[in-house]
Amino acid sequence: MSPSLNALLAMLYRQLKRWWNARSRVIMTVLNPLIWMVFLGLGWGGIFSTRNVPNIPGMPSIPGVADAIRNAIDSYFRQVFGGVDYVAFMVTGIVVMTAFMGSFISGISVIWDKQFGFLKETLVAPAPRGVVILGRIVGDSIVTTLQSAVIVLLSIILTSELNLASIPLALAYVFIASLGFTSLGVVLSLKFSSMEGFQMVVNLLTMPLVFMSGVFYPVTTMPDWMKTITMFNPLTYAVHSVRYWLVGSTVGFDYMNPYSDLAILLGFTTAALGLAVRAFKRATLED
Amino acid sequence: MGETVVVEDLVKRFGDVVAVNGISFRIRKSEVFALLGPNGAGKTTTIHIISTLLRPTSGRVTVAGYDVVRYPDQVRKKIGIVFQDPSLDNQLTGYDNMYIHGRLYGLRGSELHEKIVKLLDLVELKDAAHKKVMYYSGGMRRRLEIARSLLHEPEVLILDEPTIGLDPQSRARIWDYIRFLRKSYDMTILMTTHYMDEAEELADKVAVMDRGKILAMGTADELKSMLGHDVVYVTVNNSEEDVCSFFDFAEECKSLGNGKVELVVGNASRALPEVFRVAEARGLRIAEVSYRRPTLNEVFLHLTGRELRDSGESQANRTPPRRRW
Repeated sequence: MSPSLNALLAMLYRQLKRWWNARSRVIMTVLNPLIWMVFLGLGWGGIFSTRNVPNIPGMPSIPGVADAIRNAIDSYFRQVFGGVDYVAFMVTGIVVMTAFMGSFISGISVIWDKQFGFLKETLVAPAPRGVVILGRIVGDSIVTTLQSAVIVLLSIILTSELNLASIPLALAYVFIASLGFTSLGVVLSLKFSSMEGFQMVVNLLTMPLVFMSGVFYPVTTMPDWMKTITMFNPLTYAVHSVRYWLVGSTVGFDYMNPYSDLAILLGFTTAALGLAVRAFKRATLED
Repeated sequence: MGETVVVEDLVKRFGDVVAVNGISFRIRKSEVFALLGPNGAGKTTTIHIISTLLRPTSGRVTVAGYDVVRYPDQVRKKIGIVFQDPSLDNQLTGYDNMYIHGRLYGLRGSELHEKIVKLLDLVELKDAAHKKVMYYSGGMRRRLEIARSLLHEPEVLILDEPTIGLDPQSRARIWDYIRFLRKSYDMTILMTTHYMDEAEELADKVAVMDRGKILAMGTADELKSMLGHDVVYVTVNNSEEDVCSFFDFAEECKSLGNGKVELVVGNASRALPEVFRVAEARGLRIAEVSYRRPTLNEVFLHLTGRELRDSGESQANRTPPRRRW
């Protein structure tokens, strides 16, 4: 085994072990998305079905016609959400949101290491700095993907539209996106040496990006300015592709399909990894 | 190779502040070398340059024949380091801290496991091996760091203030390990300290460092013999004159300011009556007389005019900027 691979595995092992040692915190990371899924998903989901509204004002009382209108309204909503009901649409978005939030937050461990001194231990090791940071990004991405997997399993309870066979494929997309987002988290945390500063920026950045990615509502019905931003948000492509594999929903911009999503995500992740490695090398190079 | 660490004309500037100002020293194989000086003397900066964490502004440093700027990876393999501040992962167990270190240095498998067990045994942490480091005491953490720094069998062990902040028992234990390593492993050790007794007790060679410069270097005995045998301190409070010229019986006399003079004499017991005789003859009013057999503290006082133990505070304002990591 080459020394670099050995060092990569060392850092990967460390991130996983830290996560495993803090199992109680894992519940917290899953609890938050679960609240979104249950309350926003089930609470809001009922609106998008006429079955829950017995009397619709202005509905002609001619038998057959009323049913036809109800069916039309229902299929309108299913079409808006890409051929699935709102719960299936939203729950699959939350799977990606969990990974997205988790990835950014994991960048904070770089700040922790700085404060508690472990970083110095890695800096005097003969392993290349790029390998050290890659190992930790891969380790953290495995952790966030596992957390997303928990969300996927929980969502089986909420919706019956899940395509179980495609779950591993969907998680592979989640993993690729996590690598990219964790890298961005690392870059940010290297810029901010205080936890408070980092947390503020992450909050300011992640919430708008989540809302402009199609997690809670389709991208196709957004105002034009929001659409423009959404197109440049890598999270959009992760949400679209994971949703496609999990429930088959295809709502998105015309050029989007699971393969173009993959290409875009790979491009984004490669660039983000490169940025993280460069930022880490720079931050640790003292003259 | 006879010399494991060679430092030549090393200079390190942080902006306008000169942290290390042209120091040179050589550490022979299996030697314990101590950099002795107050906080802010430039000891830690020197250590960080030798361990490739900082780049020198000028000068040359080699470790086991490798230049620290040109071959940092080679140097990193040759050194084991215990930093002044802890660098352990508190969330992990002692064993895991060792394991990750081993993997980072290219060790693996049963070989790594055996080494970890052996070293944890050496520092008496075998029973605590699977406890998280956050539950360790300060002394246990320091011992774990020492064990960890030995895992990859370094040629040079670097200890930056190895006993700072420890209670006397833990301190004595760390001293024992250092003596043991030197004796049983023939380890070359570079340590920094601001405790004179530590340098005196452990080091083969001591370099007295202050304000970025090495003021004197040698064995503890050599340094002490710079002062002759005994030292008498006399403080007089009514003389503006050069008091030193009165004490012509002393081998050496040096004014330390505020009426305090340092007399180097052959034998303090016999010199004291002389001091009083001179004072009476010259009409000096003596406020204080004391004498000491020289320790490294007297050497430091002699070289800098300040006590080693209280120079830390007075210098706080010219400490070089803290490193970010």
